[in-house]
Amino acid sequence: MRGRAILSAVAALLVVTILPATGGARAAEHTLFPAPAGERARIVVRAAADLTVMRPLIRDFQALRPEVTVDYHDYVTNDLFDEAAAACRTGAPHADLLLSSAVDHLVELANRGCAAAHRGGAGAALPAWAKWRDEVFGFTLEPAVIVYNRDLLAPDLVPASHHHLAEILRTRADLFRGRVGTYDIRLSGIGYLYAFFDLLQTGTTYGRLLESMGRVGTVLRCCTDQVLDGVARGELLIGYNLLGSYAYARMKAGAPIGIVLPRDYTLVLARGAMLPKHGAGGDGAAFLDHLLSPRGQAVGRDEAFHFSADGALPPGVEGPASMLGSGAGRPIAIGPALLLTQDRMRRARFIADWSRSMIDMYASGAR
Amino acid sequence: MRRREPSLFRRLVLAIGAVLAAVAVALVAAAWSWGRTAADEAYDRVLIGAALQIAEAVAVEDERLVVDLPVAAFEMLALAEQDRVFYRVIGVDGATITGADDLDVGGALDRARRGPLVAIGRHLGESVRIAVVSRAVADPAVSGRVHVLVAQTEGARAALARRLALQVVGLAAGLGLAGLIGAVVAVRVGLAPLQRVTQALDDRDPNDLTAFDVAMPKELRPFAGAINHFMDRLTGRMALLQRFIADAAHQIRTPLTALTAQIDLLSRGDFEGRDRDRVQRIRDRADELGRLTNQILSHAMVIHRTDTIGFVDVDVVAVARRALREAVPASLARDVVVALEAPDHEVVVSGEPVSLREALANVVDNAIRHGAPGRLTVRVLEPDSATVVVEVEDDGPGIPPSAWERVTTRFGAPTSGVDGTGLGFAIAAEVCRAHGGGLDFRAPGPGGFTVVLRLARGGGEAKEAA
Repeated sequence: MRGRAILSAVAALLVVTILPATGGARAAEHTLFPAPAGERARIVVRAAADLTVMRPLIRDFQALRPEVTVDYHDYVTNDLFDEAAAACRTGAPHADLLLSSAVDHLVELANRGCAAAHRGGAGAALPAWAKWRDEVFGFTLEPAVIVYNRDLLAPDLVPASHHHLAEILRTRADLFRGRVGTYDIRLSGIGYLYAFFDLLQTGTTYGRLLESMGRVGTVLRCCTDQVLDGVARGELLIGYNLLGSYAYARMKAGAPIGIVLPRDYTLVLARGAMLPKHGAGGDGAAFLDHLLSPRGQAVGRDEAFHFSADGALPPGVEGPASMLGSGAGRPIAIGPALLLTQDRMRRARFIADWSRSMIDMYASGAR
Repeated sequence: MRRREPSLFRRLVLAIGAVLAAVAVALVAAAWSWGRTAADEAYDRVLIGAALQIAEAVAVEDERLVVDLPVAAFEMLALAEQDRVFYRVIGVDGATITGADDLDVGGALDRARRGPLVAIGRHLGESVRIAVVSRAVADPAVSGRVHVLVAQTEGARAALARRLALQVVGLAAGLGLAGLIGAVVAVRVGLAPLQRVTQALDDRDPNDLTAFDVAMPKELRPFAGAINHFMDRLTGRMALLQRFIADAAHQIRTPLTALTAQIDLLSRGDFEGRDRDRVQRIRDRADELGRLTNQILSHAMVIHRTDTIGFVDVDVVAVARRALREAVPASLARDVVVALEAPDHEVVVSGEPVSLREALANVVDNAIRHGAPGRLTVRVLEPDSATVVVEVEDDGPGIPPSAWERVTTRFGAPTSGVDGTGLGFAIAAEVCRAHGGGLDFRAPGPGGFTVVLRLARGGGEAKEAA
């Protein structure tokens, strides 16, 4: 038993970094989780999800299915989409399971007929908004949270809502200049998705917020981690629209940050899972079912994602008592409406508008 | 052997069932097609609505066509939540502005100028319905027609069509079942008169040849008419036959009387030994012949009377008394003690006096002739308010039970070897039956052998009411 644990720990450290054949795109990190009881089956998982959050789930799966090796490839969302779309076009075996925090990518793939339906199983219990066509399943809930530095930000300046955030940025522009961070939606699929649905929720509030953020010269980063680093180090006072699970993990690890779920509305995004139509020969459905099962959900909540549909907020997080129960949580439904986010013209125009507010305005203001 | 025909009930139910089934099949087919049409119409509207919304969002910006896809359009399309959605916006130059480049509707693009339409096509291996909307753009920089294509797979409409059709099918099945049950009930009700007529025919006395007159629907009347016509002819035949027999008997009686007179004369002659025996035997046979002839005549008369003459009130005691009186001469010859036991009052039945007298006379005569060596008693009893019983009891050996049934049928009497009773009991039994009763025997008890004649007080009416 102990030997096996050591073995898998060693295996987990065996991180192989490869360059994808396509070149140009960023590297996919390849990690092999060898079967603890000797490999008799193999599942190829291609994901846009940090290994740190996925590792406990893979381990737990292997505790149940010790004969399965999990071949895990971690991508940036856009790369994963491009590769999966290409594999779908050619019909080449690519993966047994796709996981992506940019769930609109998976909806787009499913809409193109690149997904295999998975009826029955643990997905049957999901609410309607958390799955589409029995092809795309949401397996986590990720609130878009506001993170602030507990040591540096005065309590009365802790934003409680989007509206409040826009107000304090406007009134204390001097304090916040250059010290607010968020996703660069040109680089991050999740950031784009959050921003897109921010606009749909409240056009005026979001417009004002965007303007305020532009005026204070908001710092743009590719990823949640970089913004969190900035807030934790005190370079930034506030991080906006960050993934709740990463932020909470950081807070639990001791970083001096506070987490707010905006009270007017909190976008809740489900990470998506999908079985590709052309599998790589492994039983991806087994891992999918494990992710959606009560046990998998419990492991995910406790060790990786911290937020769940039914449970209360984790301790130390400010916001409504229950994410979805309070009505403030606005789940982004997995469905054809997400195709809109992938429309190339709408996307281009949205990013152009966003860039104008975020970057050009500051540039002109600074002039 | 004639082939067995299925019953009317089965024929009707099968025929109605077949019609209902045919209607149900037609209805189901119609329901599928109707459901499909209805679902297509409903979802086509959504599709066209979405396409119109997108077309509305097409604008010219910086001398370029742009389209900001409206969220509402996609939320409308998401009403068919399990269906894949494709769209394509084609600019004035035929180039795709946004959406799926490979979504194609062929010639439908041109037809869409006349108004929004929905085409059928395939995209990415699935059959889709494609709404095509054409919109004119008139801008100094860009002018021409913009086309918006919105396609959706057919899962939701198939499901809706199925649901609609299943509801209709369920309704049709329910109606069909109700119709079949209704038909069964209706056929049963409709055929009930037939049953009644059959029952009435079954219940009829075999001797009853009167017209068949039961309430029946007019469809059955020709049938009854045919029966009545047949019975008329039969009655005629029977009457003819009876008249023939009566005539024959009557005709025989005259020469027979002459014959008897001649034998009387002859028996006065001086014969010796065997010749005397022979003359005596001739005489006996002639007597028997005479009696038989009389009985045939009286039988014909009785049948005639009970069939044709209406019933009147008859005092049974008086009838019995008279029958006994007529029998006295014969009883004197045999030295039999004759007694009548009857109530003091009149015992009235509704009946035909001559027939009753004849019946009773026959029984008494038979008892004197074949039974009683020394005693004959006639009793008139009233066992209950509806019945009158006349018992004729003698102290003779009686008739063995095995012969009871035979002697009451016409010419079923013991053969002449035992000096047959002839038609006596048959006539009596028939008269009793005609009066709503019957003729029975009681095995020899302490009092002797008894013939029991039962009569209903109501006479013939009592029989009909039974």
